[in-house]
Amino acid sequence: MRKAGETFTQRILRQSFSGWGAKIGLIWVGILTLLAVFAPFIANSMPLLVSENGNLSAPVLRYLTTEDIIVLAAFFILLFLFLSPLRQSLKTLLFVFLLMIVGVTIVSKQFVVEQENIVYENFRHDLNSEKYDWAVMPMIPYAPRDYLRDVRRLPLEAPLADKQYVHWMGTEENGGDVLSRMVHASRIALGIGFLATGIAMVIGVILGGLMGYFSGIVDMLGMRLVEIFESIPTLFLLLTFVAFFGRSIYIMMVIIGLTSWSGYARYIRAEFLRLRKQDFVQATIASGLPLRSILFRHMLPNGVAPLLVGVSFGVASAILAEATLSFLGLGLVDSPSWGQMLNQAVKSSVFNWWMAVFPGGAIFMTVFAYNLMGEALRDAIDPQLAKKAGVVG
Amino acid sequence: MSDQQEKNNKKKSLQLKEGLQQKKQEQPSSLIKVENLKTWLQSGGDTIKAVDGVSFSIEKGQTFCLVGESGSGKSIMALSIIQLLPEGISHHPDGEVIFDWRKDDETHEHVNMLTLDEARLCDIRGSRIAMIFQEPMTSLNPVYSIGEQITESLLLHHHGMSETEAKSRALQAMNDVKIKNAESRFNNYPHQLSGGQRQRVMIAMALACEPDLLIADEPTTALDVTVQAEILKLIRELQERKKMSVLFITHDFGVVAQIAHKVGVMKQGKLVEFGDTEQVLRQPQNDYSKKLLAAVPENLPRREKNTEVTEPLIEVNNLDVFFPIRKGLFQRVVDNIRAVDDVSLNINKGKVVALVGESGSGKTTLGRAILQLQAPTAGSVKIQGTELVGLSNKELRPWRKKMQIAFQDPQSSLNPRLLIATALTEPMKVHGIGNSDDERIELAAEVLQAVQLERDFLWRYPHEFSGGQRQRIGLARALALNPEFIVCDEITSALDVSVQAEVLELLLDIRKQRDLTLLFITHNISVVEYLSDETVVMKDGKIVEQGITSDVCGNPQQIYTQKLIEAVPRL
Repeated sequence: MRKAGETFTQRILRQSFSGWGAKIGLIWVGILTLLAVFAPFIANSMPLLVSENGNLSAPVLRYLTTEDIIVLAAFFILLFLFLSPLRQSLKTLLFVFLLMIVGVTIVSKQFVVEQENIVYENFRHDLNSEKYDWAVMPMIPYAPRDYLRDVRRLPLEAPLADKQYVHWMGTEENGGDVLSRMVHASRIALGIGFLATGIAMVIGVILGGLMGYFSGIVDMLGMRLVEIFESIPTLFLLLTFVAFFGRSIYIMMVIIGLTSWSGYARYIRAEFLRLRKQDFVQATIASGLPLRSILFRHMLPNGVAPLLVGVSFGVASAILAEATLSFLGLGLVDSPSWGQMLNQAVKSSVFNWWMAVFPGGAIFMTVFAYNLMGEALRDAIDPQLAKKAGVVG
Repeated sequence: MSDQQEKNNKKKSLQLKEGLQQKKQEQPSSLIKVENLKTWLQSGGDTIKAVDGVSFSIEKGQTFCLVGESGSGKSIMALSIIQLLPEGISHHPDGEVIFDWRKDDETHEHVNMLTLDEARLCDIRGSRIAMIFQEPMTSLNPVYSIGEQITESLLLHHHGMSETEAKSRALQAMNDVKIKNAESRFNNYPHQLSGGQRQRVMIAMALACEPDLLIADEPTTALDVTVQAEILKLIRELQERKKMSVLFITHDFGVVAQIAHKVGVMKQGKLVEFGDTEQVLRQPQNDYSKKLLAAVPENLPRREKNTEVTEPLIEVNNLDVFFPIRKGLFQRVVDNIRAVDDVSLNINKGKVVALVGESGSGKTTLGRAILQLQAPTAGSVKIQGTELVGLSNKELRPWRKKMQIAFQDPQSSLNPRLLIATALTEPMKVHGIGNSDDERIELAAEVLQAVQLERDFLWRYPHEFSGGQRQRIGLARALALNPEFIVCDEITSALDVSVQAEVLELLLDIRKQRDLTLLFITHNISVVEYLSDETVVMKDGKIVEQGITSDVCGNPQQIYTQKLIEAVPRL
């Protein structure tokens, strides 16, 4: 009975991703997501699968951390919900997703034993000692923190210099494999983008929506709050926090989120102020619909479009903020991040080009990809603007 | 003949050249001659034949009216003549526009506008062919005073003219278009002028260089009817005095009757009828022109008015809606804009009451204040004896379903994100109409049938519909709750005349079937005469006159109403 035509959202998405720019952006972010989710299986020192006297075992699973499991679970739950034939409303889907994630977190906290110090040398020893009948190794057979101290004396090595232990992108100053570290670092890059922007978006939508709908005194107070938050320099606040509370990626995400919502609040406020006077909103009031429905069913979906554009640029700037911080040497100590790798490249006395080019290129590509998508979204939402700019669609 | 002309002619076949010369001899006074003009626009992969083989000519000192509905290609026609088409997406596969170019030294040259090079086009544009547009708000540059803008266009086209001379010419032009106190107005900025005055400035700018052809693209559509009457009179006078030709584009046959010597009717890029005004308006030959003329409200078959005496359904007493003007540091209220000022009005059950007024008269605000969409400052609104002013949203809800509203703008009146089915059933659900979703879908389908739309439309989104269809869906939404009273806020103003006729007929049918009471807000007097039983005239927030429609429109008592009725362009 219900066969609907193309929805507004579908139309916007189709138009956005019909151009090559947005497609490239989407493909790049898609690759990054896959890398981030399957990082332990792509780059690790332990074998994926071994046969020991006829018994099969997967050492890599034994060393998965809670974080790995949550990320993997989130990915597969999302994939399942997206592909499942059950067509539920977005609200229920989100609820189911959160519920399942919390469940997985609790379960994995119970059962996963975090391995504090993994001795990577042992794996190589096992592999060489013909203990296994056969073994399947990951694509990049080095863990990000495997510094290969047993293998070589000089840690720094250019790409493809060693014939026995091949490093496609060379090694960093401790001897870790650059490619492996970059794969694992994509998690931080994506995570900080999504989480920081997510926090900012939620705060921005709620405050901006209230300001726009009620206007008057609420609007005035809200806008003053926005101005206060806009005058906070995020980077210096981050520096201060890192100095006092130590280095934690989650604190960074929260601070970036808490200080960057003002832009989204402004967007939503302006949209709601405009929508309030629109005829179809007046019609919902005339039909006596409850405020909840007016705000969230009729106004928000119509006002969210410019926000999405802002978000895609916001993700890019959050990634840059983390990279900046790591570059200044105030990021995470041991966990790999692109900015931190750039920092190493600069600190070294000789210019090791592979240390600068690969992480730098990854940051550039990611920020560029988000900007491309943001640009395409904006053009699809506001075709007038694209026409004025001379972009023939 | 100049080299350019010869070069142009070489491109044409010999036959055509001879044909043209022959015609020139027959009609020596024609200023512009359009021959088989085709303008095709490129949009995505499609080619739109916006103008498709149109031929006509405009004599010197005559007004030619191009009439048509939206999308008929009349504006593209005008832009093709002056060669201001959007670059890159338009081309002319065929045709020519021969313009009799009077040069500064009073020699004449016949040029083809389509093949003329840009430098020479610039000499013609503005000085020999001038154009005025529909929207006087956006056609003037807000950062320059109107005097500067007129002077600039003069200096541009008259090389060697001194600034003082240009200024005096500009003043002269402003006097010509009857801007009062031209001297003091000279340094005013566009925002300090009313819409009608801005349109006068536009005309003054266009006429300052004394063009031979004035192209006016719907110059009065955005204006009130009394202002429109003044502007039309002005264009007519200037045209006679300066002996210029006018190409007047409009969708309003009333305007055509006022101003045109000759008329062309356009439909989908083709000129379907062309002839003298009297002949086209009285004895149209083409089926389409006949249909268009029959759809003009004045020509619609009159219906019997409802003259029964009935109980009042809505009673409005001493209603005020003020918008405070705040100033200063503490946002002190210094004055009020009195949008609705002490209005008392009864709307009787089963009647169609028309609320007429010019823009800014407060008619829309009054309509919304009755529905409690706009909180009144003071006064009372009663429906079936129950006071509505001061009720909370919750207390209002049971009354909401008895009174509904339909809007003017078909673009913004429907939520673009919701299916028509959702838009129609959600209010039903809130008000407890229908027991299940399926039942409500059935009810929604019935409502759609009532406005003569297909059931299938339930599963579509607003952007898939035309303006007329959206307007019907807007009506359907108002009808979904089975109300007793509907405020129709200019619902036909954005529609073409033939669509307007259909919507009006439909509205009357539904009114009869469902025993509705309507408050029909409009600025169009001919619609009022056709539709309403009673008429209320508003001006500056106050009711000027009210009564039976035939009395108010046929024998108005108040001076303002008389002026208003007189200003309506009649066929």
